[in-house]
Parts: sequence; structure tokens; C-alpha cells
Amino acid sequence: MKNRHLLAVAAVAAAVAAAVSAAAQQPAAGGWVQPKTPWGDPDLQGVWRYEASIPLERPAQFQGRAALTDDEVAQRQKVEDDQEASRLAGAEGKAVGRGNLDQSPIRGNEYNSFWQDHGRPRQVYKQTSLVIDPADGRIPYTPDAKKAEARAQARYGAGPYESFLDPDTGERCLTDGVTALMWQGPNGGHNRIVQSPGYVTVLHEEYLDRRVIPVDGRQPHGVRQWFGNAVGTWEGNTLVVTTTNFIDRTNYEWASIFMRPSETLRISERYTRTGASTMDYRITVEDPTTFERAWTAQIPITRLPDDTLIYEYACHEGNYAMTNLLAGGRTDAAKRGR
Amino acid sequence: MRARILGVIGVAVIAVAAAGCNRQSGSAAAEYRAPRTADGKPDLNGIWQALNTANFDLRAHPARPGLSLLPAAGRSGVPGLVRATPVELPDPAVRPFGAVGGVPAGEGVVVGGEIPYQPWAAAKRDENAREWLKRDPEIKCFMPGVPRATYLPYPFQILQGTNKIVVAYEFAGATRTIHMDTVGDSPSPSWMGWSRGRWDGDTLVVESTDFNEETWFDRAGDFHSDALKVTERFTPQSPYHLTYEATIEDPKVFTRPWTIRMPLYRRVEPDKQLLEYKCVEFVEELMYGQLGVIDPATGRRP
Repeated sequence: MKNRHLLAVAAVAAAVAAAVSAAAQQPAAGGWVQPKTPWGDPDLQGVWRYEASIPLERPAQFQGRAALTDDEVAQRQKVEDDQEASRLAGAEGKAVGRGNLDQSPIRGNEYNSFWQDHGRPRQVYKQTSLVIDPADGRIPYTPDAKKAEARAQARYGAGPYESFLDPDTGERCLTDGVTALMWQGPNGGHNRIVQSPGYVTVLHEEYLDRRVIPVDGRQPHGVRQWFGNAVGTWEGNTLVVTTTNFIDRTNYEWASIFMRPSETLRISERYTRTGASTMDYRITVEDPTTFERAWTAQIPITRLPDDTLIYEYACHEGNYAMTNLLAGGRTDAAKRGR
Repeated sequence: MRARILGVIGVAVIAVAAAGCNRQSGSAAAEYRAPRTADGKPDLNGIWQALNTANFDLRAHPARPGLSLLPAAGRSGVPGLVRATPVELPDPAVRPFGAVGGVPAGEGVVVGGEIPYQPWAAAKRDENAREWLKRDPEIKCFMPGVPRATYLPYPFQILQGTNKIVVAYEFAGATRTIHMDTVGDSPSPSWMGWSRGRWDGDTLVVESTDFNEETWFDRAGDFHSDALKVTERFTPQSPYHLTYEATIEDPKVFTRPWTIRMPLYRRVEPDKQLLEYKCVEFVEELMYGQLGVIDPATGRRP
């Protein structure tokens, strides 16, 4: 209770400080001023979504440069505009429903394509990769981790499915991890941020992932968890979150291993609103179990309209896919005489 | 599970005694005024937990030796003149738990004591109780629904945003968003329902609809249909406890609305946080083990 009283005092002090500083605050471009919560914290609330299609790692064709040229941006914008036009014209469905797997342009991803929602046009940015550090835009996997990632990629959508441990953590309705939580876009990647005094809560629609992040000066509690122990602080208008004490789940199958938690994983995030509907989200990932050095990604996030809602993602409750994958695996093995 | 509850009881007893507020509910409401948030709303922020046996059975119940019992043969003969009469033994599936697996007695939380089932529904409830081990969605780590999420033996946190209130439950990471602003209707039925909230004085009133028919109210087989509507009232009674009421309406299953009432206690440990109870991975062997050909414990064919 003592802490609560201290918090209340701190909240009042913060509110007074906010009121005093509000007048002196520099508006961003377009006259936007960071709104504050009633108790004086920068207000990040709303539903946020990553709506670009920037590659996580820099593709070979952009080796040596971090930004697209204006012409390249214009070309991409045209592609997005054309796709949006054809979506609105109802032509999108013709790209799916091929006769067999070999004809499918999305081999191995047919199941996911059913769930994916490209209902809003993708935003075009100049970045050639989400990874901005190291300078080559590539995730600095250790040699062993490179092999593990290659194995994960080869297995994804292909199996084998011989026990419930064979599908990846997402297919098991567990999670795709903290690392990609804010920017896994098309497959239910909406995040509602709700703030209350001393806490920032992130509700991630997919898998019902939830982070209740204390922003009150406390220390990590030290109990290892899938989502670790997150603690936040405010640096000006930026929410800084450091997460440690992850549980080791490196023995599970991950769709991509950069998302997996290990006991040595440390994630640092910076959430900075840059306008009414834009956020600069940066994440630095350190983990000697998987990476040679720390890497940082810069991810532009969009705030969706005020009336945007997120819905219940009852994944485990309706995970018929697990039963079907395993039953299919048995049938497949029987056909092959194994 | 029991160790969990006992640990919490110690904390809450101290908290309530410290508040000098040893009342269950009711009379304090008129006197106590909850603190206010920065925007002037009653402040219910915090981590709360029920300390009762409602999750075992909403109705009053004596202690019994296991959650699942083998039915005993009927008694016969003159008591005291024949060999000890047959007893209900724990089902072999739960027997190794011994005293840890027993069900503690409870006075019940149903106002008036009885749940007004329609006759067919009373029979189904009894059948659910007999088939508990196969049917209770809690066993499969499914989302617990409302109001059961409130009185599971796990804490939950109320987080009051400016126009949404998040209720974060520890069990299965279940979450509800209570819309304090105006929102459209639910697009589909769901496990945790579609919740709209308002303030009635110091009381948070939440009306939830659009449930599916998959969740239960307790481990005794109490159930509902997709016509369920739950109206909850969270009324602060002291800095350390509040009164929780939930009125259940479901004309497909019950003959009239009925209400449960219980105190909820604040978890007062310094820097208390919700922890993960990510139980999906705890139940995969139970749910999918028979479909595999590799032993998950060894990675080899058995």
C-alpha cells in the first residue's frame, strides 16, 4: 500500500509537471502535440498496426543501401494502388484456389492465407529493411543459429508432424513471441494499447497475447516466463521497455527462430509517437544463444481509426488444425508405407 | 492449487483485518467512498482475487474426497448392524492426489441458495457433474468465460484506461475489454463475451452478451446457453475489498434470473504482478498425445 501512495504522489507530481511543460512543448510537423493521459503520461492508447511490407532483413538487391530511391518508392506505391484497386474490384479471389499445390504461388502458406486480412492498403516507406543495425540490415545469427533457422524454414508448412511438438509455437496456439508482437501484420496483428496509472497494457489480437507492463520504477520479479519480465520507463514522450527473464523455449519449433525466447534473451523497445496516427517503434534484441551481437529494427506503426476494435482470437479452443495435422501425418505415413 | 489459495488467504485476512472491515458486503457500501482516478472515476485499479470455493461449486456443498467420484452402491440394512456402508471413492484418475485432490466445503455464493434450472437443464447439470473429468472446459485450458473467470483460484487485474477497462486474468491469459465508450455489436459469439460498462455511483456495472455455449460456471457442471447475459456489479467496500455480484439471465436454461455475490480481495503484496499461467502447453499431451507417434518426452518412437 505504501507503494500505492507513493505512486499517487508521483502521479500528481507528473500531472503538474505535464501541465507546466505542455505550454512549452514543441509541436511536431503539422502542429501535432503528443497528447497526455489524465494522469500526465504520454498517451499511446488506441489500436496500432504495422501496415508496411518492408522485409525484415535487407534483400540482396539492396545490398549497400538503407533507403529506396524516390523512383522505387513511386513504383511500389503504384503496385499498392493497383492492388487496392483490384481488391476493391473484387479481383483478389482469382489469385487463390489453384488446382494443386504445385500451381500455388504461396506453397506451404495456403492455410495462413485463409486467415490473412489485407483489408487496408499497405503503407510504402523508404526503408529497405526493418533491421537498421547492423548496417548491412541482416540479423547477425551465430553459425549454429543460421543452421537452425534454415531447418525451421524448411520445416515450416512441410512437417513432419509426428507429435504435438512438431508444429511451430503459433500452430500450437502458444505465441509467436514478444520480438515480433508489435509488427506481425496481416494475421491479426492488431495491438490495442491501454494505459492506466503505472501500467501500459498491450493486447495483441493474435493468440490473445497480452503484456501488462509496469511503468512505475519497479524491478523485474525474476520469475522466468514466455514473455519474460517487462519493465517500462518514460524518456520524455518515449516509452522505453526492457524485458529480461525469459523462459527457455529454444527446444520448440518456431516459424522463424529470431522470435524464440531463451534465458539469455534481452529485448529493449522504444515506443515514440510521431503524429496522430504514426509511431516509430524500435526494438533491440540481444541473445548470445542466437545472435553474434545485438540487432535493432525500426518499424513504422500506424494507429487505426478510433472505432477500430480487436476481437477474441480463440486459437487453442478451436485448434482443429492440430488434430488434422497429426491425423494427416499418420495417413501420409501410412501411404508411404512407414 | 490448494497451496496457492492458502497462501493468499493469509494475505487477505491480514488486509481485511487491517482495514477494520470484517463485513462480507452490503452495509459498508453506503459509507465507503472509493478513491478517484485522475479523470474523476472510482478507482478500481489493482490485482484482485476471490477467496472461496465458488469454482468448485456455486451452491453450498460439503467437503468431498475428490473432484471426480465413482458412484457407490446404495445403502441397505440397518445402520450400525451391518458392515460399513458403501462410500463414494475418488475416481482412479484423481485418486493419487489424496488429500490434495479433495474438494473443500463451501457455504455457496448463490443468493437464495438455488440455481433455478429448467427441469431438462437440471438433469444436464447433474450429467455434467458426473462427466466432469471429460467435459469441464477448465481442464482443457479453454477460456473460462464470465463470471467464472472472476472466482477461479487465480488473481486478475483491473486496468482502467480512459475509455476501455482491461480485465486481465491470470488463468490461460484470458482477457476482457470492457467498453466504457459506445461500440457496435459483437460480430460473433465468443468465450469471454462482449462487455459494455458504465458507472452507477461507485459501482462498475458491466453487461456482457454474445457468449458461446461452451463455458461453465464451476467444476460442478453448472452451465448456460448462448442466450446468456451477465450483469456484473463491482462495488468498492474498503481499500482492500469490493463486493462482486453477477446476475445471470438465460431463458433457454433457467426459469428466472439469479445472482451470485461474493467479496473480492485486493492482493496487497508489494509490486504484486500477474504471472503467466500459459496452460495450453500443459494440456497438449492430454488432448493430442494419442495422435502422435513420437514420445514428446524422449523425441523417439516409444
